[in-house]
Amino acid sequence: MSLLRRLVVPTYLSQALTRFSCKNNVDRLFSALFLPKNAYRMVSTTTTKFDLMEFFDDKKNWGEGTVRTGRSWTKDELRLKSNTDIHKLWYILLKEKNMLLTMEQACKDESELFPNPERIDKVAESMTNLEEVVRERNRAYYLLETGTTGERPGAEEENFLGLPEYSQFNEYPVPKEENKDYLKAKSEEPVVHPSEKAWFLVRLNEKRIKQKRWERREARKGVKEIIEHFPDVDRELIKEKFPDINVERVIERTNNRHLGNIKPKTFKWNRC
Amino acid sequence: MRFTTRLYSATAWKGTITGKLGELTKRYANLPEAYIQRTAEQVEFQTPNRREYQNKKLEQGVYRFTANRPWTDEWKRQNDKARRPVVVEPIRDWNFFRGDRVEVLVGRDRGKHGIVSQVIQERNWIFVAGLNTHLRRVGSRQEGSAGFYVKSEAPLLVTNQVALVDPSDNKTTKVEWRFTEDGERVRVSLRTGRIIPLPPSGFETWDYKTPETYLEGDKDTKADVVKAVNFRPTLKTFEMEIMESMGIIEHRVPKKSYWY
Repeated sequence: MSLLRRLVVPTYLSQALTRFSCKNNVDRLFSALFLPKNAYRMVSTTTTKFDLMEFFDDKKNWGEGTVRTGRSWTKDELRLKSNTDIHKLWYILLKEKNMLLTMEQACKDESELFPNPERIDKVAESMTNLEEVVRERNRAYYLLETGTTGERPGAEEENFLGLPEYSQFNEYPVPKEENKDYLKAKSEEPVVHPSEKAWFLVRLNEKRIKQKRWERREARKGVKEIIEHFPDVDRELIKEKFPDINVERVIERTNNRHLGNIKPKTFKWNRC
Repeated sequence: MRFTTRLYSATAWKGTITGKLGELTKRYANLPEAYIQRTAEQVEFQTPNRREYQNKKLEQGVYRFTANRPWTDEWKRQNDKARRPVVVEPIRDWNFFRGDRVEVLVGRDRGKHGIVSQVIQERNWIFVAGLNTHLRRVGSRQEGSAGFYVKSEAPLLVTNQVALVDPSDNKTTKVEWRFTEDGERVRVSLRTGRIIPLPPSGFETWDYKTPETYLEGDKDTKADVVKAVNFRPTLKTFEMEIMESMGIIEHRVPKKSYWY
């Protein structure tokens, strides 16, 4: 790092001059690298476009009520493409997303209607699909060659509440046993007694049971409503839609509501 | 049953709006599901997507599907207050598509045949063009004019208010889905045994009438370019292939790092 700094200070002005006198992107790039001109590598760049207007849509779409666009790229379609094509597509999608977000904000500033806001969701969907395809390919290589996925490692550990929590690992230059800062921070972490964790887990379980009970009750009510409104409905279909409910029992209770569910009227002579 | 609005919706059980949308609705819309969910939901407050916050959403969880589609402003206005949910009969197979010839069985237009103009699967509704209509007054009544009347169709229930018409003898029939020898799933009339083909406007979407007639825009990738296969699987990662194609040579070996 210090060697580089010694080189930068005296040659700064001449470097700036050479940069501005360069004809194309590649020359400009190399003038910043302190390499002689004949040490070229194959570096490809886009055509020079110093145009901030790329952040905006085509002028013919300005003020339009609708802008027609196709659907997003599906994963199957992206899996057919080579890695270089996918690489280029990512930047095309990124630029398009930036353009759409700029247009959305510009329309908000002018209190205008932003046409077809689903375009942003379409581009975002394409980008998530693209990332997933790239991750698939990398995972395949790493699993074949190393046995691990090659993605950021992590582990499911018990957190301070006693609940399993997946935490991602961090990268360190030294092993855990030699990392003094890490070990110090870990020792300073508050320790929760297992009895406290158990106290919490019991109550959390109670809450979960209550929630499940509520869900089942709501489902039973749903079945009852359907039977009340549509007595001839297909029973098998209801059982498929509500697999955790005893549909026959709900139907029985719905139909026999008059038997035993109503408190009998008490008269004076009946009270004892 | 007293209906109370909930502070936090039980979306884990009730599901999102897109989970309740019918297949035909999604197909006709041709919109990303994330967009439909985003525009349709009525969220009063949502915690920011940051690690110090729990995922909590103050949402009006109960929505009513109407003749207006969920991504429209009219639907939002109709759903700005939670209303008692409508009980919809579950149907196993959906038999009615846009462009089908049906007979109306109830109302003033009973016995008449019409073409299905709109399908709303979430309510088991069908709109038949020109039939089961009523008049409603439209237009401003403030400038001296009394407005003017417009004929608008009322929805018909698929279960008992309409019936499919067999094109071979123009009479109503019940229908079953069966498979042909080629493995194609088709509707078969239970009375005559003939196949009732799906109408072409059943595959229409908001963007196009048929995929073949869709006019590709400037930013749309052409179909043949999309289908072209140029992926050659090699024993390289994505990064390695890109570096190779760009001529980036990296001789440096990363120092050993530890993950924990």
